[in-house]
Order: sequence, then C-alpha cells, then structure tokens
Amino acid sequence: MAKLKVIAACGSGMGSSQIIKMKLEKVFKKLGLEAEIYHTNVGDAKSQANNYDVVFCSESLIGTFTGTKATVIGLKNLLAEKEMEEKIKANIIDKA
Amino acid sequence: MAVWEFFQNNILTKPAFFIGFIVFAGYALLGKHWYECLAGFIKGTVGYMILNVASGGLVGNFRPVLAGLKDRFELSAAVIDPYFGQAAAQASVENIGRSFSMMMMVLLIAFTMNILLVLFRKYTKIRTLFITGHVMVQQSSTALWLVLFCFPGLQDPQVVIMLGILLGTYWAVASNLTVEPVAKLTEGGGFATGHQQMVGIFLVSKLAKKIGDPKKSLETLHLPGFLSIFNENMVATGVLMTIFFGTIITILGPDLMHQIDKGFGAKQNFGFYILEKSLNFAVYLTILQLGVRTFVSELTNSFQGISEKLLPGSVPAVDCAATYGFGHPNAVTFGFLFGAFGQFIAIMGLIVFNSPILIISGFVPLFFDNATFAVFANRLGGIRAAAIIPFFSGMIQVLGGGFAAYHFTTGNFGGWHGNFDWDTLWPIVGVIMENLQYVGVAAVVIILLAIPQIIYQRNKDTYFVIAEDFDKYKEIMAKKQGVPVEQVVID
Repeated sequence: MAKLKVIAACGSGMGSSQIIKMKLEKVFKKLGLEAEIYHTNVGDAKSQANNYDVVFCSESLIGTFTGTKATVIGLKNLLAEKEMEEKIKANIIDKA
Repeated sequence: MAVWEFFQNNILTKPAFFIGFIVFAGYALLGKHWYECLAGFIKGTVGYMILNVASGGLVGNFRPVLAGLKDRFELSAAVIDPYFGQAAAQASVENIGRSFSMMMMVLLIAFTMNILLVLFRKYTKIRTLFITGHVMVQQSSTALWLVLFCFPGLQDPQVVIMLGILLGTYWAVASNLTVEPVAKLTEGGGFATGHQQMVGIFLVSKLAKKIGDPKKSLETLHLPGFLSIFNENMVATGVLMTIFFGTIITILGPDLMHQIDKGFGAKQNFGFYILEKSLNFAVYLTILQLGVRTFVSELTNSFQGISEKLLPGSVPAVDCAATYGFGHPNAVTFGFLFGAFGQFIAIMGLIVFNSPILIISGFVPLFFDNATFAVFANRLGGIRAAAIIPFFSGMIQVLGGGFAAYHFTTGNFGGWHGNFDWDTLWPIVGVIMENLQYVGVAAVVIILLAIPQIIYQRNKDTYFVIAEDFDKYKEIMAKKQGVPVEQVVID
C-alpha cells in the first residue's frame, strides 16, 4: 500500500487532534502501514480533506465532513489504540 | 561573566530563541539527527515569533475600542478567553519591563514538579500527568503575571521557582480530581482531563445528581441545524466578535471612532469598518493558534514520550474535548447555548450595576468549559442538570473573570484568561498571594496537596484501581452494593 496521507482533526486543532496524531503514529507503525499525519482544526481539515486519504476526528464531528472524498473515521475514545486499530482494519486495510 | 551576559541578553530574555534552544536541546537529548534538531529549533523559534505577531495584533486591534470606552464611559473592557488572556498577560509583563521568557521556565519547572509528584505517588497520591501543551503555555503566562503583580520586587529566579512549584502542584492536584469523573464517564477510557476547568468538572460530578434525573436525558432533543457552524473556531469567533464589538462600536459612534482610530478611513462606511474591526479578531486569533500549534506540538510530543517512558501506570491528563465522544453530541451544543445565556445575562448585570469593567464573551471558555460540564452533567443529572449547570457556570465566568481582569489589571490590555478554574480558584489564589505573600503561597500549596490525601483516605480500596483497571473497579463496587457486576450502579 502506498504511503497514506492522513488528517487528524478537532475543534481547535490544538489538543485532541495532536493526541489522535500521536496515538495514530503508534498504531500505523504497529500495523506496518506508512502514513504521513497532519493535525489541524476542523475548518482547515474540511477545506483540505480532498487532498488526503483519511480523516480521523471525534465521532461528534463526523457531520462536518459530509461530501468529502476522503475516508472519514470517527473515534469514540481519542486515546484508545485498540479502537483505532479495529477501525483502520475495517475501513482501510479491508477495503484496499 | 561576559559569556553569561551575552547568553542572558540574546537568548534567555528572548523567548523565541529560548524556546528554540529548549526544543533543540530536547531533541539532541533524545538522540535525534542534527537536521531534526535544527528543524525543531526553527519550528520552535518561528512558532513563537508568529505568536508574537498575533498577540501584538490582538492587543493593537483592541486599543482604539478600549480608548473609546475609557473616553466616553470611564470603562475598561476584557475578552474572557485564554488567548486574549495570554496576550494581555504578556503585554502586562512587558509593560513593567520584565522578560516574558520566564513563562517558558515556569512551564518547565511546573511540569517537572508534576512529574515528581507522580513519581512519589505512593506518598503524594497523585495519579495524573498534565500534558496539554497549549494550555500549559496559556496558564504559565497568566500565572506569571499574577505572581509579578503580587510580588513586584521579586527577582526572576525566585519568581520562576516559586511559581513553578505552585503551578505544577495545581496541574497535578486538579487533573487528579478528574480521574474518577472521567473514568466513570468513559468506562475506563484510560485518561483524565488536563485543561482549564478541572475543579469545575469535579464540582459538576458532585452536584449534577442533586439537580436532575439521569433518566430524563437530552438525547431525545432535536436542536436546530444552524448551530453546527459553531463547530468551527474561526466562524464562531467571527460571529461572537461581530455581535459584541458591533454593539460597542455602534454605541461609541462613528465620530469618536474617527478621532481615535487612524485605521478608520475617511471614506469608509461605518458598517464595513465595524465588520472589518470585528473579523480582525478572528484573523489574529487564527494566527495566534497557528503559532502556538507550531511550537507546542514539539513540546507535547516529548511530554507524551516522557509520560510513557518514565511513568508507567500514570494517567495522562489531556484536552477536555477528549470526553466529548462519550456524551451525546446534543450535550456539547446544549452546554454552549446555556453557557451563553448565563454569560449574556451576567454581562447585562455588569452594565446595569455600573461595573467599572465590561466583559466580552470569548469563544474558548464559552464553548469548551460549558460543553464539558454539560457532558458530565447529562450523564448524572439529565437534561435539567445539563441546562442549569452551564447556565450558572456562564454567569460565574463573567463575574469571576470581570473581577480578575479589573483587580489584576489585565483589563488594561483587553483580556483575561476566562476559563472556569481561572475565574474561580485562581483569582482567589491571587488575592491570597497578594495579602499573605509567601505565607499565602505556602498555604495554597499545602491545601492543594492535602486534597488527594483526603480523597484517598475515603476510598482506599478503589483509589488506584479505578485508574488502572476499570473492570476490577466495577467488581469491587458490585460486591459493595451486593449485586452482580452487570447491575452495578456507578455514579
């Protein structure tokens, strides 16, 4: 699989999105996937989403991204590596 | 001596380079390549320089409005928002000729203090490490100004050490208070909250069940769709600032604004002048956040690494938005709305009762504090608690923030930190420091450190279990309640 381009997004683009990013880096490494992860706020993420493969954000923000070409993955627990792993498998690996 | 002086004049008292060198040194210690260290140095330094441009812009954009309010009504004004607060704190510190670099040293000492408290958790009962970088920068800034305000004669090294201990104790103790509420909300999510309303979360977790009924939850509610535009910071700030500054500048009138603001062109329409002025705040806030994000991501990365390597078993205390996924999306919007009602009513109250300071709602406290409170309140006290608590929180934010901005004079530069803990706990700490000086600081640290001890004494059997293994915690509680695990009630 080619190197994935990933956005991690949250309301302000400061706290939560960076936590998602740090956890994702570990999970992608564990799954043997190469990924380049950028973290930012939802507004910025929305305008750039079409240039990326995957968007990760809190489940409550999924509605913001309707109509984008990228795969949007909503997370319940932003720190749960297990949840990320399952959702990456279901939405990225199995569909590739 | 000459070397030290050179270092002091060019690096130590220049926050941009100081931060750059800290990132450089941190990366070097982690054994990264020289080019990664260099990249870190540039990102740290440029990030801070961006922040500086935005802070100056924010305060400068506000200046004519402040002058107008002073001229016409003898009023000062402050936006209660951590970014405005940080800019106003920086302006206050520099205004008395002190170096803002101390902010960064305070942050590092406070973080070290938090690490020590967790390392010795057998004695201190502290389970959490505060790692929310941008919040640490904001709080170090505001707290630095509070200490300089209360101890104007104190030398830099003493300021930094004393405040580092005080702030680090607050980070540890207050985030530790959120362990139980967050673990129960998230069913053992493995984190705590390290943000700006930690004392507030603890209070909500104690009050909510007395106020309402969790069975009457707000999940059935249908909220209007237009509210979703407030999900975006830039849009929300633009709307809020246009409402507030639009009203203020309209009252001040075009003639006065022409006199005091050179930026108001002779041929420019008054309405568009107002719009430009208001939206400028969204511009500077966006730039400020870019600056903070640039240098803070370097910091947070290493903090996270430290917490995983050095302190296994400790709980990371992170941004409050991490809890939103565990509440219904309605709770977040609901908290924001009722917080806004509370704030607007309190602001009317300030005007009616001739307060010497006018408060302007900032987006961050309005949204993030009250949305968080609503998420916790809804779980324990349903729709009633999720409405009443943010409403009163909004009022407290305005009144506490108004007191602080006026008393600690950051209102002169148009801002105060404004988040819940900084409208309640910290103004009190400030007044204690001002009146009792060193005795006051010592008393605050001792009282704070006693809090985890009290909670531990009350729940010896579950205190560490709830943070480490939530299933085991449920088993213990089920045994206590005499029911099977599936029926255990956790509130």
